[in-house]
Amino acid sequence: MSARFLIVDDSELVRQGLRALLQHNPGWEVCGEAADGLAGVEMLKSVQPNIVILDFQMPGISGLETARRMTAIAPAVPIVMFTQHASAELEQHAREAGVRSVVSKTDAFAMIGIIETLLDKHEVR
Amino acid sequence: MVNERENVNILMVDDQPGKLLSYEAILGELGENLIKAHSAREALDLLLKNEIAVVLMDVSMPELDGFELADMIRQHPRFQETAIIFISAVHLSDLDRLKAYQRGAVDYISVPVVPELLRAKVSVFADLHRKTRQMEMLNRELRTLSTRLIATQDEERRRIARDLHDSVGQLVAALSMNNGLIQTDAQNLKPAASAALRHNVQLVDQLSREIRTISHLLHPPLLDEVGLLPAIRTFAEGFAERSKVQVAVEFAPDIGRLAPNVEISIFRIIQECLTNIYRHSESKTAGIKIWTSQDSLLTVEVRDEGKGMPVENQHSKFSTSGHGMGLSGMRERVRELGGKLEVHSNGKGTSVIAALPLVGAVSVGA
Repeated sequence: MSARFLIVDDSELVRQGLRALLQHNPGWEVCGEAADGLAGVEMLKSVQPNIVILDFQMPGISGLETARRMTAIAPAVPIVMFTQHASAELEQHAREAGVRSVVSKTDAFAMIGIIETLLDKHEVR
Repeated sequence: MVNERENVNILMVDDQPGKLLSYEAILGELGENLIKAHSAREALDLLLKNEIAVVLMDVSMPELDGFELADMIRQHPRFQETAIIFISAVHLSDLDRLKAYQRGAVDYISVPVVPELLRAKVSVFADLHRKTRQMEMLNRELRTLSTRLIATQDEERRRIARDLHDSVGQLVAALSMNNGLIQTDAQNLKPAASAALRHNVQLVDQLSREIRTISHLLHPPLLDEVGLLPAIRTFAEGFAERSKVQVAVEFAPDIGRLAPNVEISIFRIIQECLTNIYRHSESKTAGIKIWTSQDSLLTVEVRDEGKGMPVENQHSKFSTSGHGMGLSGMRERVRELGGKLEVHSNGKGTSVIAALPLVGAVSVGA
């Protein structure tokens, strides 16, 4: 199943890694990359992704604030938060901000499974 | 340190100008500032306008006498420590002297005055005042310094945590993504390579946990982004896991975001308390409670059921516990925020209570 991703992360290394990891799956394409929340929100409007992969701790507005703004603009686009700080507490706040799922940055492989589930459930349009 | 001697003010009060002139001649060689007042009223006026180290006054004066003036001086909180020396030609009974000392006089000199003695007595109190003032100044400097030290430490910890996240953390994330990519094709690997990959995944996970713990102890990421209470809950969970001390957390529901310096201070106090509980108390449980009260106080309590704290540690201003700043650091943080820190400890456990004024603690615009 094909999918278009927007990556929002301030680390170029992480963006590169994510791009390689995601595009390794047939039909998956990274359609945009942003290095901070505000740029991400702007890009969401222009590149129209199916899924957003979002960092939590970034310069400028935080991942949570970015998620809130993105959900307000495009509530149907699921956001997966990809962070070094995954915890139950963060997960709760992230969900309140409209994030669908929180994945630890050290468990990138788990993200593939989560995205596949989102695609299978036809949650992605 | 003040090396040059600062002169202090000596106020001389007598209704007879001749006596004032003779005191001036006697005390002149002390090199201090001599101020003359010809009546009790003028003396009061001068006291309010100047910082006076020693008051030298005649007992019998028309209108207000020396005793009455001393009463008025002592009523003012600013002059509690001002040294008063009476000089009198009359009223020389023990009862008179007693009356003078009851009014807080430091000496009662009878006429005729022995110049050397008067000079020596005044000089002692002038020096005492000067030293007290220097000590007060040094104390103020020390407090400013310790406040700045705490703020610098907080800032430095925040910076190191951020650096860890931005450099090492991102490298580990990149490693994990590379592993993820290989894991996608794991079915094509030979068994040994597949086992090595699984091992790598475990190593990355372990590495990341360790960095995360260090970074969270240095500065909890949730504190800035989400607030104090989630940061404390997450910290308490991690602490319970590492220390095997059960932590109960109880927050009043009406506590919103607080000013950043208040949030970091409360977090550090709780962190320090839990560390102490783990290191010294032998308690299996810990409780954190935060609530607000009618009198606009925010109260934070951390308690345990351990063996208690030695009495000398409870009151010590300077003891520290290892790398943290100990009780003295907590006191300093609480004092800086205009609050009070209490420690109750006995054989059944310890409770540390910090009460902070809510005015100024609530975050503006949150």
